[in-house]
Amino acid sequence: MSLISTRALTKRYPGVTALDGLSVEIGEGVIGLVGANGAGKSTLLKILLGLLPASDGEATVLGLDAATEGARIRELVGYMPEHDCLPPDVSATEFVSHMARVSGLPSGAARERTADVLRHVGLYEERYRPIGGYSTGMKQRVKLAQALVHDPRVLFLDEPTNGLDPAGRDEMLALIIRIGRDFGITAIVASHLLGEIERIADWLVAIDAGRLLRTAALTSFTERTGQLLVETDEDADPLARRLSARGMQAHADGRTVVVDVSTATDGEYAVYDAVRDETVALGLGLVRIEHRRHQLEDLFRAGGVDERVA
Amino acid sequence: MSASPETAGTIYDIGYRGYTGPRLGRRGAIAALVGAGLRAVFGLGRSGRSKIIPWGAVILATMPAVVAVAIRVLAGDLIDLYGYENYLWSIGALLPIFVAAQAPELVVNDIRHRVLPLYFSRPMSRLDYVVAKLAALSLGLLALTLLPVLVLFVGRVLAAEDVLAAIGDEMGALPGIVGSGVMHAVVLASIGLAVSSLAARRAYAAGAVLAIFLIGGVFGQVLSEAGRFAELAPFFDPLAVLDGAREWLFGGSVAESPVRAAGLPLAVYGLATLIMTPASWTVLALRYRGIST
Repeated sequence: MSLISTRALTKRYPGVTALDGLSVEIGEGVIGLVGANGAGKSTLLKILLGLLPASDGEATVLGLDAATEGARIRELVGYMPEHDCLPPDVSATEFVSHMARVSGLPSGAARERTADVLRHVGLYEERYRPIGGYSTGMKQRVKLAQALVHDPRVLFLDEPTNGLDPAGRDEMLALIIRIGRDFGITAIVASHLLGEIERIADWLVAIDAGRLLRTAALTSFTERTGQLLVETDEDADPLARRLSARGMQAHADGRTVVVDVSTATDGEYAVYDAVRDETVALGLGLVRIEHRRHQLEDLFRAGGVDERVA
Repeated sequence: MSASPETAGTIYDIGYRGYTGPRLGRRGAIAALVGAGLRAVFGLGRSGRSKIIPWGAVILATMPAVVAVAIRVLAGDLIDLYGYENYLWSIGALLPIFVAAQAPELVVNDIRHRVLPLYFSRPMSRLDYVVAKLAALSLGLLALTLLPVLVLFVGRVLAAEDVLAAIGDEMGALPGIVGSGVMHAVVLASIGLAVSSLAARRAYAAGAVLAIFLIGGVFGQVLSEAGRFAELAPFFDPLAVLDGAREWLFGGSVAESPVRAAGLPLAVYGLATLIMTPASWTVLALRYRGIST
């Protein structure tokens, strides 16, 4: 059962086509909506919120028609815009509880949920101070809190890591994973940063120039390839030759060796043992051993895996 | 208590709790916005400084009514300082000052700091937002346009020797008091919000509102006294137009108002009010339609 569904969704502005016959089904989980800037991500989110009429086609969110039942949708959806959207002269507590009430919560519930949500996003003592004095990271947390405060079924997050430093980015991504996995709220994360989506998303929707490029479960992209990646601190060619001599499919690429585990006759663990023994025998330093996974970048190259365009 | 040893004294993160209670939808959203707007109008939950103008204006506007009632108690019918019909005219400048100070509080920051997309992502429409802000400012303005006159009304009734007879005497004025108060509040709120919604900062908005009322008022007064274009004079001052409309609807002319000097048929002021108010609403509608989400 899909939470969000679009059919031939088109949005034309004078001179620009932002969405071009987009048809996609989106289910539960953390959904990465990826595309370059201007690919139509924000336009799609606004149409789904019922804030922007589509030129053609239709969209439903939680079974509600975005064109006619926007108000109902917005009661059940949280939205975190890309841009700054916080008044500087009120505190996070005041602002978030006000937004809770504007989302339709009675005042007692609004206060309770505000306290809960601000704790979940990691705002503590500072929540009583005016927002104007907050760091970018804290402001992003307030933006997330106001989108979460009415316990939405679906969250729309537009470039949630915008303007954050690396540590802030990690924290925001960890929060989104928590929201998706622990809170059970489906999060649609629009981002132009493939690397971030790769870290958090279960499912991926890639759009380009308003068209659906590809949609697939991310696990199918990043699942194990059946190859073991062994990185050493020196030229790995001798290691590859020794492993090949043991009857394994191994070839070196600079300081790394890729060993084919799936075709190893003695099983997976024999490969690990062989890698360990031969590395020690050669006196090499082992930097890392990991299962090689498909990279999300493969998606944007021709012939990606498991194509499932709706 | 049967707390087992390992749970005693431990603080647990109880994790995320969902919300299963009532959702009040669009009506709840509008009500919340009106309530928050009213608090903003009176500076509630804000610094003491932001309470000075609204509460000062309310006190100053009510003072003449209190004084008039006190005089009536002491001196009977001998002196009649304020009637119902000239009360709003006599507290004149307080109304624009209140509007100039409080209308920008309601709308400017939401536009300037791009908070509007957050409101529009809630179960309300752009029109709902505008209506809620208009309602908040209009209700707030009633503290100046209706409350003092009601104080005067109640005071006059209670100060009378025969209270029941006084109720009978004064009751006829009540529709005029309420009608005029509501009309002033709604029209002034509409003009104040329309002007404020166009300003980039609160101070500019306040200046623009004051300019329209005070400069217009002074200009109108000068024209009126110069005598040559006296019939045009009221139309420079929204308060004079409102006074004309009040007189047209409920009767009772104000000696100092340019309306009397102009000598035009009173229906003209009713018409002018009917143009001025929807024009403000149109400005608001266009302004908010133009704001992208």
